[in-house]
Order: sequence, then C-alpha cells, then structure tokens
Amino acid sequence: MPMLVDLLGSQIVRTVMLGAALVGAVSGMVGVFAVLRRQSLLSDTISHAALPGVCLGFLLAGERDLTTIMLVALLTAMAAALSVLAIGRLTPLKTDAQLGIVLSVYFAVGVVLLSHIQAQGGGARAGITTFLFGQAAALSAQDLWVLGGVFAVATLFFVVLWKEIKLATFDPIAAAALGLPVRALELGLTVLLALTIVAGIQLVGVVLMVAVLIAPAVAARQWIGNLGAMTILAMGIGGLVGAGGALLSATGRGLATGPIVVLLASAVVLVSILAAPRRGVVWQALSAQLQRWRISGDRVLLAMDRLAAAHHDPDYPSEKGMLDTMLGRPLPGVMRRLEGQGLVRPVVHDPESSPHWVLTPAGRRRAEALRRTGHGPD
Amino acid sequence: MAGSADLHEPGFALHVEDLTVRYGSSIALWDIDLDVPPGRLVAIVGPNGSGKSTLLKSVMGLLRPVAGHIRIFGEPISRARSRVAYVHQRAEVDWDFPATVLEVVTMGLYRRIGWLRPVRKAHRQAALEALAEVGMEAFATRQIGQLSGGQQQRVFIARALIQQADLVLLDEPLAGVDAVSEDIILSLLRSLRDRGKSVVVVHHDLSTVRRRFDWMVLLNRRLIAQGEMRDVYTPANLKAAYGGQMAVFDAADADDPARSGRVGGQV
Repeated sequence: MPMLVDLLGSQIVRTVMLGAALVGAVSGMVGVFAVLRRQSLLSDTISHAALPGVCLGFLLAGERDLTTIMLVALLTAMAAALSVLAIGRLTPLKTDAQLGIVLSVYFAVGVVLLSHIQAQGGGARAGITTFLFGQAAALSAQDLWVLGGVFAVATLFFVVLWKEIKLATFDPIAAAALGLPVRALELGLTVLLALTIVAGIQLVGVVLMVAVLIAPAVAARQWIGNLGAMTILAMGIGGLVGAGGALLSATGRGLATGPIVVLLASAVVLVSILAAPRRGVVWQALSAQLQRWRISGDRVLLAMDRLAAAHHDPDYPSEKGMLDTMLGRPLPGVMRRLEGQGLVRPVVHDPESSPHWVLTPAGRRRAEALRRTGHGPD
Repeated sequence: MAGSADLHEPGFALHVEDLTVRYGSSIALWDIDLDVPPGRLVAIVGPNGSGKSTLLKSVMGLLRPVAGHIRIFGEPISRARSRVAYVHQRAEVDWDFPATVLEVVTMGLYRRIGWLRPVRKAHRQAALEALAEVGMEAFATRQIGQLSGGQQQRVFIARALIQQADLVLLDEPLAGVDAVSEDIILSLLRSLRDRGKSVVVVHHDLSTVRRRFDWMVLLNRRLIAQGEMRDVYTPANLKAAYGGQMAVFDAADADDPARSGRVGGQV
C-alpha cells in the first residue's frame, strides 16, 4: 500500500494514469457505437492493421515519435477498413472471411516490419515491441496533448451530431429515407474508430485494443437502456479500468499494460453480465424460477379447488401424496411458498400422519379467478 | 425554387416511368411504369422476390436504379422528402437498441428539427399524439426491446405519422402482427386515405387484399396490372403474376377468382 501512495505521488505515474484514463474514456465512447453497429470484429481488424503503420512511422521518424507513428498507423488502419469494404464489394465473401483475411494480412506485414526493425538493433528499437501488448510507462507528457486532442475531437463529434448518429446507428434505412447523409456519418464514425484505436495502442497494444473498445460498452449496456447514459457510463468504466490498469502495470517491473487493463475490463463485464437487473444472468434465472413457482403454485391451487368441489367440502384437506399424483410431483418449496402467501393452510387430518392442506379464503378466491380467466388476478 | 414548370406528372402521388433495378447480374425490376392517384389505399402485391420492397426502396432513393425516373407529386425524391414517409420492414433493425418508444417516434422529426438542434418538448408532445393514434401512448417510456411484434410495427407507423406526409409507403406492415395491432393499423391506414393522403402498402396476403385496399398494383419483376381493385383483381391477372403456384382463398369472397378453379389455383 505505501508503494501505491508513492507511485501516485510520482509525476510520471500521474501522467501515465491520466493518459490511460483518456484512452479508456474515448474507447468507451466510441466503443458504444462500434458494439451497437456490430463492428467488434472490424475494430479488431483495424487495430491489428495499425501495426504496419506503427513500424512504418517508426522507420520514417527514426525514433519513437507518437505523432508520426499515430498518423501513419491511422493511414494503414483506414486502408484496412477500406480493404474490407472493397473485398465485400468485389467478392462474394462473407463478412467474417473478409475481416479474417484483412486482419491477418495486415498483421503479418506488421510483424515482418517489426522483426526487421528489431534486427537493426539499438535500445530505442527494442521499445517498438511494446506496441504489441502496450506499455503505459512509455507515455510522455507531450503524448497527453495528443490523447487529449483525440478525446476532444471524439466528444465534439458526438455532441454536435448526436441525434443524427443515434438514428443512423439504430435505423440506417430510416435515416437514409429521411435524407440524412448516412454514408458520411458512417465514414465519420469509422475514421473516429480508427483514430481511437491508434491513440490507444501505445498503452494497450494492437492485439488487445479491441477489448478496451468493446468491454465498457457491453458492461454499460447491461445496466442502462438509454443511449446517452450508456455512453457516459461506458466512458466512466473505460477511464477507470484504463487508469487502474496503468497504475497496476507501473507497480510491476515490465508488466505490459494491455493485458492488465483488459483483465480489469473483463471483470467489470463479468459482473455486469451476472448481476445487472433485468438483463443479468442472475436476475433472469431468478425471474424464471419465480415464474415456475407461480405456475406450479397455481396448479396446486386449482387441484385443491377441484378436490374440494369433488368432495362438496370447501375445507377439504388435500393430502400431499394426492396432490403429487395429480400434478406429477410439485416443485420443492411450492407448498411452503403458498403457505407464506396465505393461500393454503397446513392441517392435521387424523388418523393420517402425512401432510395435509386446506385452501384459505384468499386461496379459494385466487383458484376461482384462475378457473374463470386462466390466469391469476395479478 | 420548384416552380410548377419543373413538375412532371404532378397529378399523381407517385409516378414511376421505365424503372429498372438490378442487383449485380439479377434483375429485380424491369421497365416498370406506374401511376398512383392521390387519396388511395394501394396494395402492391406479387409473389416472393417479385420486387415489391425493391420498388419502395427505389421510390425512397435508397437504391440507384439503372434506368427510369420516379416522381412524388411531380417532384424527384430529393425535393419531396418532406411529403413522403416510409415504414420499412421491422426486422431490418435491432430492437435491443437502447431507446424508448417515445425516442424512436421522435426520430421521424430529426430532419425537420435540423442539424445541431436538440429534441424539444413540442417534438415529444407531437410524438405522444402520434403514439395515441396507434394506441401506444401508454408505452411511451417503455424500452423498445420489450415490445411485441405488433407493438413494434405500431411504433414504426407512429414514427411515419409524425412526419405528416402526403404519401406513406409501408413494407409488409401486417406481417407477423397480432389481431389487435392489425385492426388498429388497418383503420389508421383507412383514415389516412379518408383524409386525402395516399397510402401504398406492400402486402403479402392475396386472400385479404381485396377487402382491405381499393387500388392494386400487381407485380412480378414486371408490372402485371395496376388500377382499381375490381379491375385488377381478375383471374387472368392473378395467374399472370403468380403462375400455377397460387394457394389462396378468401372465406368472405364466395366469388373470389383466386379460389375458383379457373385460375389454375392448385392448393
């Protein structure tokens, strides 16, 4: 713990954390639209295709200059996006094959260039490999300006074009029918996606960048059904896991930032998928169980009502074995649940020792409603 | 700027001339000539793959035809967008999108609201009124993912109503909807017609088309026939459109040519 406090006091660590938070926030923002537009795999392709650009930029600048590297990486990333488009137009290949081909070809070129640069030797040249898995510690104070610029551009883009982007994302056909320039909006979003990826790869690396884009959006969607609030939550999640991952990787020597950020983000996704209300797995399982209980409870009430009618005795004590036989064994807990709701009452029916129940007045009313309408009054 | 001198066939709500549309090497529509007079409830009918949806998409300028031209009240679509509303098939969007019913209906106003301007209270009020017309005002704050198929369709129709267009195009609005939604949608389409609007509906069900619509366009990549329902709904025309694969009947129409053996209607 004291070590963490020391770290937070360090100017370098604060720079790195701020940079990672910026990258995470902008990834969350742009990722929401990548997810909703079903572009997760396109994002992964664009990200892998940034690697040849990173290497070319490094060769051009002759050093690790983030601006040059980002510009050239943006070019190859966009070239990959256009390649996907062109293959789709010119060949009958399906989307997954288009993406698979483009991703592997561009990444292969990137790895060849990377090996070439490393073979030349030199300390700075070895640093280039950090673009594979990310190294937040390599971030400089000037780099913050670049990342801040990307954040500002993305924010401005969404604020200015918010409702048009929303419609073009939800329903591009209706957007085009209204006369909105859907193609231009999509192009803008794709350029922004590439820009975000390129800005993030120094910290997260090309291999895992897609997770930082996708995870905050997926997690945020679990909790929120409003696009604006979902975007803001995704930005928050992205910013937090970015900063947290950067801090953790700064504590360990040579620990790559990307995998740590991705693990943190995945933990948030896991919790969201499990625990979110309505959409969460736990919620769904519980409501399915409640539903099963209610249905089998209703069947028990109807069966008791029929037994009472057959015996011309509204207080007829139904025996457990009889109900089990009529219903083919009720689910465990059903009778206790009905007792708890005040619909049935356990009674002793001498000389038998097995459990018996009678309908309470409330139980009779519900059974009658079920008989009339086929479903309960609630 | 659109002086009357620029108009071409302004007497028709929809005028289509020599329209040919191609997808790659297959021809979706061939040399279509079509005129829809205003104030009609029009059914576009034809077998699967006969180009019905393609025709609507071409009218909206969503596809680029290889030949021909289209006019809406005499104007090309680029100048007539404010006068035409389009309801595409509801399966063409992802209903898990994070939005409320009210939000989706206000989307119909996005063009009118304009760039850089936010959605205001008056727009939401208009959306509520449109929702009331389709009997969905109680669902305004509901997530769209929680709607049934018929309710989704009614929301899409409310989004078209809010545009107050003079020509409304709907692609299969009755496919897969419940009986309640169907009644609401049909009476709404009739009331639009009675208010002088033109309503063009792609319809898949030959057995009900005659009772529900008053003008018919029969399509099978080429135009088979168009005109008043009673003139177009004939054995010869239906056979020309559907060939021998017709399997339709209409309990309410004893004299329905579609079920009298003359059409060659093997079931």
